[in-house]
Formats: sequence, structure tokens, C-alpha cells
Amino acid sequence: MKFTLVKDVTKDTLLRPLLSGLLLFILLFLTANIFLKAQQIGLTQETISHTLFGDEENFIAPITNTFLLELIHNDLFFMMMTLLTLSAVYSRLCNKVKVRFVAINLVMISALFSLLFLILAFYFSANFILPYIVAFFLWHTMAYFMALASLLHLYTPKLSH
Amino acid sequence: MYKSYTLAIFYFTLFSFLLLGSGAYLFFLKIGLDIESIHSYYLGNEAAFSLPKSNYGLLEVALPHYGAMGLIIMVTAHFFLFGNRQRKKHFAHIAIALFFAAFFDITSGFMIIKGFSFFVYIKLISFFLLELLGFYLAFMLLRLSYKGL
Repeated sequence: MKFTLVKDVTKDTLLRPLLSGLLLFILLFLTANIFLKAQQIGLTQETISHTLFGDEENFIAPITNTFLLELIHNDLFFMMMTLLTLSAVYSRLCNKVKVRFVAINLVMISALFSLLFLILAFYFSANFILPYIVAFFLWHTMAYFMALASLLHLYTPKLSH
Repeated sequence: MYKSYTLAIFYFTLFSFLLLGSGAYLFFLKIGLDIESIHSYYLGNEAAFSLPKSNYGLLEVALPHYGAMGLIIMVTAHFFLFGNRQRKKHFAHIAIALFFAAFFDITSGFMIIKGFSFFVYIKLISFFLLELLGFYLAFMLLRLSYKGL
């Protein structure tokens, strides 16, 4: 995390392209994650319900608990690495303290709750499917916001600190 | 800015606990926590109609774990760079032990299917060591983020 020590990141000839590349790849990851989840388990109440509980009419078997656990285990790793890096870059570049606090808390809490709601939907009640969808899109929206804001600050020297 | 980093690290430790917990539960569900279960998982079990694991199948699991475990151990432990010499030495030892535990945990599977049954014990010991040290490191990072880096 050398960028925490470099004085002016926006003028550093190495760090600026490196951080830009990282942020662009994070945006790609977020986009790809939405498409992947849509295919893997679905992103509407109907498709998620069919995935979690099966669909007799279309001969779809429900997922097993090991499949769900592997999915969550995988998601946890990518969330943790992406959101830690993104939060660190965003904190370094964006100078509004309150906005930073709200953004970081919101993205992390909604990411954690998205996983929790998915587990609750599978084990307890289909009523948790809609909260899962809301939390899923909320953390993606906040992550998009943080990545785009960081890119803006990286190329607008007056805004960053 | 400083408090924002601490906040991000706090959530990172929460994710770490969940990752370690889900990993442990997956190990328990898929493989089992006793010698017999680990043996059956890798070498197959006629009574349970389970097939032995192939090199390719183990490689599919090992590849992401080699990358991920190395990265997570390095990222978690590097937060302890900012401390006195004794503390840094202590966490250096923990990190090295974690790297070894992770290596043996992942690689033992290959040795088991090659016929080295002794690695069943290595697998179990290295898994428990990985979980224990992982939880310890995450807990110490949580304490550090609470007190402030």
C-alpha cells in the first residue's frame, strides 16, 4: 500500500496508471459478477427461488448445501480482497470524510448482508430473497460509486488530497 | 483518511472470520474431521460408492487455493509491519507457520492419492493449524484495528 505514503498520487508517473488499471479491473469484476450471478443463481425472485428450492414443472433440482457453501466461500474471498483494496484506494483519493465513512460502511455492510440473506433464504424462508437482491445491487452500486469517484479524483488533482 | 483505513481493516477481519469459518464447515461437510473420512474422501470408498480423487480434480481445487491463501496470509500479516521489533518477529513467525500449514493442507491431497497414507495425518494437523493460526491472526488484527494502527 505504498500509495498511502506517496504525497501526490495524481502526479506520480507509476502509481496513477497502476491505480487506474486496478480501478478499471474492479469495475470489470463488478460487472462480470452481476452477469455470473444471474447465470449461477439468478437475480430475480423467480430465478433465485427456482435455484434454491427447485422447480418441479421444469425438472430443476434445488441446490445442495455444499454448493451454496462453496458459492459463499468463493464470494467471501473475492468480496474481501476487492472491497479492502477499493476502500483503501478510495480513502486515499477522496477527501470528504463523511462521504467516505458512509460509502465504506454501506458497501461492506450490504455485502455481508447479501450473503446472510442468501443463507437465510435457503435455510429459512423465501421472504429473504428480495432483501438478498436489494443488498446485492446495493453493494455493487456503492462499489461502482467508489471506483468511479476514485477514478475522477485520480484525474482531477484539485479534488484529491 | 487514517480512520477510513482502520474501518476497512475492521471489515476485512470480519470477512476473514467468515472465510475461515465457512472453510472449516466445508471441510467438515465434504471431507470429514477424522482420519477414516479423509482416507475415504481421497482414496474412494466402495461401500459409499465414492470414487477416488484424480490429479486433475485435486488441481482444480488446489490452484485457486494456492493463490488465494498466499495472498490472504500476506495481506493480513502485512498490517503488523507497523510495530516494534519483537512484535514484528512474533507475527513473522505466525505468518511463516501459516504459509507452511497452508502448503501442507493443499499439497497433502496429492501425496495421499499417490499412496503416501501418512499424509492423511499431515492433512488433518495442517488443517487444524491453519484454522487456529488464521483465527489468531484475524483476532489480533481486529484488536489492532480497534485500538488503531
